[in-house]
Amino acid sequence: MPKQPFNGPLERVNDCCWRIPKSYKAGMRVDGLIYADDEMIEQIKHDQALEQVVNVAFLPGIQHASLAMPDIHWGYGFCIGGVCATDPEQGGVISPGGVGYDINCGVRMVRSNLFFNDVQPQLVGLMDELFRNVPAGVGREGKYAFNKKELRRLMRRGSAYLMDRELATEEDLAHTEAGGCLDGAESDFVSDRALERGARQCGTLGSGNHFLEVQVVDEVFDDQAARAMGLQQDMVCVMIHSGSRGLGYQVCDDALRSLRNAPKKYGIQLPDRQLACAPIDSPEGQKYLGAMCAAANYAWCNRQLLMWQARQSFAAVFGRSWQQLQMNLIYDVAHNIAKLETHTMRGQTQRVWVHRKGATRAFPADHPETPQRYRGIGQPVLIPGDMGRASWVLVGRTGSMEQTFGTACHGAGRRMSRTAAVRHAKGRRIEQELLARGVVARARSWKGLAEEQPDAYKDVNLVVDVVHKANLASKVARMRPIGVVKG
Amino acid sequence: MIAEDRHAWINPSRTVAMYEIFEHTADIGLRVRTDSLNGLMEDAAAGLFSIIVANLSDVKHVETRRFQLPGAEPDLLLFDWLTELLYAFDAEQFVLAASEVQVDGAGLKAECHGECLDAARHRMEHEVKAITYHGLAVQRGGDSWLAEVIVDI
Repeated sequence: MPKQPFNGPLERVNDCCWRIPKSYKAGMRVDGLIYADDEMIEQIKHDQALEQVVNVAFLPGIQHASLAMPDIHWGYGFCIGGVCATDPEQGGVISPGGVGYDINCGVRMVRSNLFFNDVQPQLVGLMDELFRNVPAGVGREGKYAFNKKELRRLMRRGSAYLMDRELATEEDLAHTEAGGCLDGAESDFVSDRALERGARQCGTLGSGNHFLEVQVVDEVFDDQAARAMGLQQDMVCVMIHSGSRGLGYQVCDDALRSLRNAPKKYGIQLPDRQLACAPIDSPEGQKYLGAMCAAANYAWCNRQLLMWQARQSFAAVFGRSWQQLQMNLIYDVAHNIAKLETHTMRGQTQRVWVHRKGATRAFPADHPETPQRYRGIGQPVLIPGDMGRASWVLVGRTGSMEQTFGTACHGAGRRMSRTAAVRHAKGRRIEQELLARGVVARARSWKGLAEEQPDAYKDVNLVVDVVHKANLASKVARMRPIGVVKG
Repeated sequence: MIAEDRHAWINPSRTVAMYEIFEHTADIGLRVRTDSLNGLMEDAAAGLFSIIVANLSDVKHVETRRFQLPGAEPDLLLFDWLTELLYAFDAEQFVLAASEVQVDGAGLKAECHGECLDAARHRMEHEVKAITYHGLAVQRGGDSWLAEVIVDI
């Protein structure tokens, strides 16, 4: 697949934002706006992602701009790092490609009262215990089995279903986006195939770029926000990155199949068939939304069970309960999702469906959806980096509401293909290199580890710098990985 | 177009089949070149499972499954075929060793030989989330067929 550099107009708005004017192509309803600095935009031009930003601007009902975050890279229809908001009252569409196959892929972060010096002497044992207890890798089934009836209940109620089974607490739910449950979930819209795929996968990590990491607070940038989250320098935390597993992938696949002819049916001209979509209020649109919400709720249960297993592993190694270790959930946030939200941009208040594909909600302080504990600081924004360098904790700022429908970046973004990363890794022992950096890695597949090596990713620090400078979200703490479980 | 890993996979009903992996930023591209549409489907199936399992040659012929899919357009038929196989793996842990495929104007019929995933013997490599439409292409040039498909990892 030849990569042609973007040769359309690219106007510098400021030192962290670029515009592709809608005059660039007939059919664009809004401008493209890319959050990136001068150096990043040069690399981004060679990725084909900018043409995808242009294509999304064709979608009916799109508001303000087709947006992209600084970790942008090529995806399906929408680029990864893409954001778009559509207004149902203006013929707005819903597009599964704007959410992604892994519906509600997201991140959660758990604190503890352990510090680096407490954990370091037992780190190898801890990582072995986590690797034993947390199902990871291709074809690995979970410990928690649900029959179809239970799965449908789980999808309708989200994390609250697990609370009834004593696998979640009220505090866990209070610190999960949407309380771990989107209203509007229609479990009957989820196919039997999706249920079959998801039946034994709830509470499993998966593979690819999913991970469970033990991290240490490396540097605190905002004392007040860190205190509110219960974070301190050198504190040991756990970060979990996973999504809706085979159930979500199948829901997306089913939707794309049912939408194959929808654009033609509704008279929607699309520059790329992967932008398959339907009007939000159409039967097809409503069916996807109902199933998407159900899959999102499954994903929150998945991350809740992964956290539960991590808590048990820590308890086993340190000889105290997770409650005594104060392994409380800081926050859980999605980065592949569509949400119906109220936004006021340029003086106009609207209810819009915000598609976030590889982009994280970043609501500011005092927003009604920001948990009570964080109302004074803003919603936590969790940004996984690569396994060798850093991850970040940020908080949402008012700049996100003014510019990006309350959205910030989601991670580092890949810069190297999987095949190139494997070539780059030939002859190298990646796990030994990580150990030399102080990271104990446990992985199910050497190839998977090679493909996910730090060099394959952009520098997350640079991505976060842009988001901070643009006032979409601000830095709270940089986290250093000390242990990683990969599937 | 860059050929990355070129594989020859022996299908008992034919001589040699060819597929290769090509570059993609976050996912994996599969390219298949053969001399028949039947062979294209067989080799694409092998290519898909070579992405999932590292030691495909160690997968045994323990059970046989039959598939029948409607479809007149070769690219969408390829898509549906690979999607069907992916479902059989993800939901039922069926790992494909070999297949014989017959394509006609109405669709595809296939006999698939393989076994249930055995974590002790099968070295799992990638979790394929889905077959995608991105760059999906099936082309005929004279006596040869070429297909490209990208799978989401």
